[in-house]
Amino acid sequence: MSEVSPDVQVQARQGAIAAAAPKPPRRSLPRPNRSWFGQGIFLFVLAGLSVLFVYPFVWVLSASFKPQSQVFDNRIIPKDFHPENYWGGDPSVFDIADAPVARWLFNSLWLGGLEALLVTFVSAIVAFAFAYFRFPGRNFFFGLVLATLMLPNQVMMIPRYLIFNHFNLVNTQYPLWVPGIFGSAFYIFLQRQFFLGIPRELFEAARIDGDNYWTMFWRIALPIAKPALIVTFLFEFQAKWFDLLDPLIYLRDTNLFTLPLGLKTILDSFGTGGGGQGDWQVIVAATVIATIPMIILFGFFQRYFVQGIAAQGRKG
Amino acid sequence: MASVASSTTAPGFREKARRWAAGFRERETWAAYAFLAPWLIGFVIFTAIPMGWSAWLSLTDYSVIQDAKYVGLDNYRFMLDDPKVRLALTNNLTFAMFSVPGVLIVALGLAMILNRVKWGGGFFRTVFYLPNITPPVAVAILYLLLFNGSVGVVNRGLELIHVPGPFWTTDPTWIKPGLALMNVWSVGGTMVIFLAALKSVPPHLYEAAAIDGASAWRRFRDITLPMISPAIFFNLIIQTIYAFTLFAEAYTAFFGAGTKSNQTEAALFYGIYIFQEAFVNFRMGYASALAWLLFVIIMVITAVQVKVGNRFVFYEGDRR
Amino acid sequence: MSSRWKRSGVLLTVAGLCVVIWASFAAAQADVKAGPNAGATLKIMGFGPGDEIANIRASEAEAALGGAAVSNPRGGFSDQTFLAALAAKDVPDLVYMDRQKVASYAARGALVPLGNCIKQQSIDTSQYRLAALNEVRYKGQTYAIPEFTNPRTIIVNDKVAADAGVTVAAFNTNDWAALRATNKKVLKTDGGKVTRIGFDPKIPEFFPMWAKANGVNLLSADGLKAHLNDPKSVAALTYAYSLIQDHGGWGPFKSFRDTWDFFGAGNQVAKNQIGAWPMESFYYNVLAQNSPQVNITALPFKNRKGGPITLITGNGWAIPKGAKNPGLACRWIKAVTAPASWVKAAKARFDAQKRLNRPFTGVYTANKAADTKIYEDIYQKMGRADFDNAVSLLVSINRYGFTLPASPGGAEFNTAMQDAINRVLAGTQSPKAALDQAQKEAQAAIDRNKR
Repeated sequence: MSEVSPDVQVQARQGAIAAAAPKPPRRSLPRPNRSWFGQGIFLFVLAGLSVLFVYPFVWVLSASFKPQSQVFDNRIIPKDFHPENYWGGDPSVFDIADAPVARWLFNSLWLGGLEALLVTFVSAIVAFAFAYFRFPGRNFFFGLVLATLMLPNQVMMIPRYLIFNHFNLVNTQYPLWVPGIFGSAFYIFLQRQFFLGIPRELFEAARIDGDNYWTMFWRIALPIAKPALIVTFLFEFQAKWFDLLDPLIYLRDTNLFTLPLGLKTILDSFGTGGGGQGDWQVIVAATVIATIPMIILFGFFQRYFVQGIAAQGRKG
Repeated sequence: MASVASSTTAPGFREKARRWAAGFRERETWAAYAFLAPWLIGFVIFTAIPMGWSAWLSLTDYSVIQDAKYVGLDNYRFMLDDPKVRLALTNNLTFAMFSVPGVLIVALGLAMILNRVKWGGGFFRTVFYLPNITPPVAVAILYLLLFNGSVGVVNRGLELIHVPGPFWTTDPTWIKPGLALMNVWSVGGTMVIFLAALKSVPPHLYEAAAIDGASAWRRFRDITLPMISPAIFFNLIIQTIYAFTLFAEAYTAFFGAGTKSNQTEAALFYGIYIFQEAFVNFRMGYASALAWLLFVIIMVITAVQVKVGNRFVFYEGDRR
Repeated sequence: MSSRWKRSGVLLTVAGLCVVIWASFAAAQADVKAGPNAGATLKIMGFGPGDEIANIRASEAEAALGGAAVSNPRGGFSDQTFLAALAAKDVPDLVYMDRQKVASYAARGALVPLGNCIKQQSIDTSQYRLAALNEVRYKGQTYAIPEFTNPRTIIVNDKVAADAGVTVAAFNTNDWAALRATNKKVLKTDGGKVTRIGFDPKIPEFFPMWAKANGVNLLSADGLKAHLNDPKSVAALTYAYSLIQDHGGWGPFKSFRDTWDFFGAGNQVAKNQIGAWPMESFYYNVLAQNSPQVNITALPFKNRKGGPITLITGNGWAIPKGAKNPGLACRWIKAVTAPASWVKAAKARFDAQKRLNRPFTGVYTANKAADTKIYEDIYQKMGRADFDNAVSLLVSINRYGFTLPASPGGAEFNTAMQDAINRVLAGTQSPKAALDQAQKEAQAAIDRNKR
């Protein structure tokens, strides 16, 4: 892994994203592609591919406003506009007995938010310890952090379930956020890289000004690390928003479900695979509801998503 | 190496221990462990104890309803002879063979085009990234709808070019290619990593090559590929591990209470088999043994890739 | 995006989260308080609101509980949910599950034997069909009370038979060579696509019936020995598969079948898309409600010696170990499967059908007394000979019903069998190889579970 270079430190001080490898000096392109012709071809290809990537979204959104019989007609503009799939129809997503979609949305939001907040904050504390302090056992424990990154979830899944079951916490939402209290190896790793980019002189100066370890972390490290914290929060929130396995294992009462499990339940009871009647229009509407919040979040924080991913690639 | 160790010499064990203990005379050490405490406690409760427990469970027959019974290595012996294990691993491998190259090639191709356009790059990057923020359960539902053999839009599209589409979601031979195609749709994250790597290739290398009159292909092979090889390597490992731990998409589309008539061996991936044994059949002991096998498999795959990778991956830092 | 925007975005998000967290903690606490103070509640799993036959009997049973409340959430039985409830020692009082699974759960100690319940509520077990009881009897104890039997008979589409120039009686599983010839004569293909199915053997679902017809029980009577790869069983699968191959293979066969409007007015009988196939009794009701004008003939599924056989199976009621209200559960079981409840429910369906001038096709249960009453007291011919003949066949055929005996590996046995047949259909294994593998899997599961 490369030494942390000075320009990164500048970036860090400026509040830029994750301790990244040096930025390329400028984007200069090989000569042939500067031609209008070449650019035209590229844009044409990109536009064509974009249609492929966006079409499923358009399809789902449009199908969610169609009556049952027209779901598969592949029209982009519904022939008969049918918003009753969301509200007021029979069935409609927000009005299914035993399938409280609004509640699931709420559960997903608060569980994901709480867990991600915890993970972000606690991981930062631990990452700071690894980045700033010099203490015996540091290499050993940091090695341990890296080692846990390699453990597949499947090995932990069973004993963790048994632990929560032992404390009568199965069929509650605690198993979904309590582990967040202890931080998460991946983000400790990511944030440590970031903290390492903060010049030590900053801390030494603060120390002379009378800061203790905690205020150094709180007053100096955290504000500078804000971009890394945002990336952590977003990634963890997304992970929780996506997770099917944990809710599937731990939750039984429909009121406790999160959106992914709820969506699966709707698929099971309305699709044709089980005993359902093939009310695909409702399934599709529920899919839209599960997809839109992340798109909104992405709209606000796009830069962080993209740069966070790029940083992962560099640091892996 | 980022500076980590305070001592650079290699002292003997006794000396090491002495220094270690001496460290605790420092206030800094105590502060550091106070900062570490949350993770340390969490590590014990949610990693160390579960690992030990899981290792022990894998030697038992345990249904939760009844008490655990020690059975020695029976679970592992049974595993060797369990056709489902072979079937599931083959499924994962088949999926990986379609999905990993598919994702890597498409991601690299998109990244290379995006790296060269003068404007609109940001917009297209957003577009290609969108599938990545779609929940896997939703992706699975999209898969069922779009790849439906008789009414799905994929086959409608193929009809336009007079190719009879297969029954993607029901024909056992087409399930894994279909799932892999759906996975290629979520190529955005991989693409972003490639794009970052491509942008950090120093342009003077290309300029020098252009002066030497190297063809586009030579430039790609001799400059681009080596320079982004760490990113390729990283994505290769991540995608392979993903292929071997696949769960949510396949489970949503083919398993669970309401998809009885969809259920098919062709979609029985290893992660789903572990889940079924543990939480549907409640064979916690056997499922633990299965989980350990997965752990070993992932370790072996990663180790092999690292070993092979060391030969081909060019780390810029090494030369500095 | 300007940085001020971003900052307010972050602030809003954080503030919103705080409110959400606070609100949900408050909500969670309220939930806890409401729980234990409520009176006795019978908690049911796997039943849920259903059609009129289910709902009317449920309200009958509820009336027998003496004022206790009933919690009957929607959704079918799920192994995973049930086991998680058992593990957490937070079990429902009553489960409604596939009878094929009962012995598996009994072997694992998840269910209580119903001996006491039967005694206390003086449930007359002699009124239940023996075959159905055998399905839920493990090591001499009864673990569930059976409900429907869903006897399987052959439905022949008269119009298709006439169109293809075969007699209705030619759809006879007694003579395999002749049946195959009939199949070939009736089926229609068009350039690799199937446009009409001759005779659908309905495998994997009905494979036990084909095996039985060829003289082999796939499971020994004690449920401990699988006979999936018995030569007669392999021959049965080979034959049933050949009926599908005649259509050009499973792919075109299934994709054609998938386009049917199975539960609608334009179903495969109404649209003449099939000659004949064995089917559960409930489908006569589907036809009667959605396309009462069709011309059908109901035939018994015959074994190779010419005798009628039928596979009967369905759901049953069982009480999990650790249930808090086994007494209430037992009362429910008795009331919901009592002849009076069945008769009341059947009467409601009969009246509804009569009002619409559509034939009533009966209700077929594991309770002999109920079946007799429904047939003698409620059923009336409504001038639709096709359906009336079907009813008289169904009433008599239950007597020839067989079941797969209770087995500690029942659930896995079924999975292994279905997977094997699916492999054959997909063309990845020969019938022999597939059934060899299934035999191994099923036997291993039985041996593992019976300990």
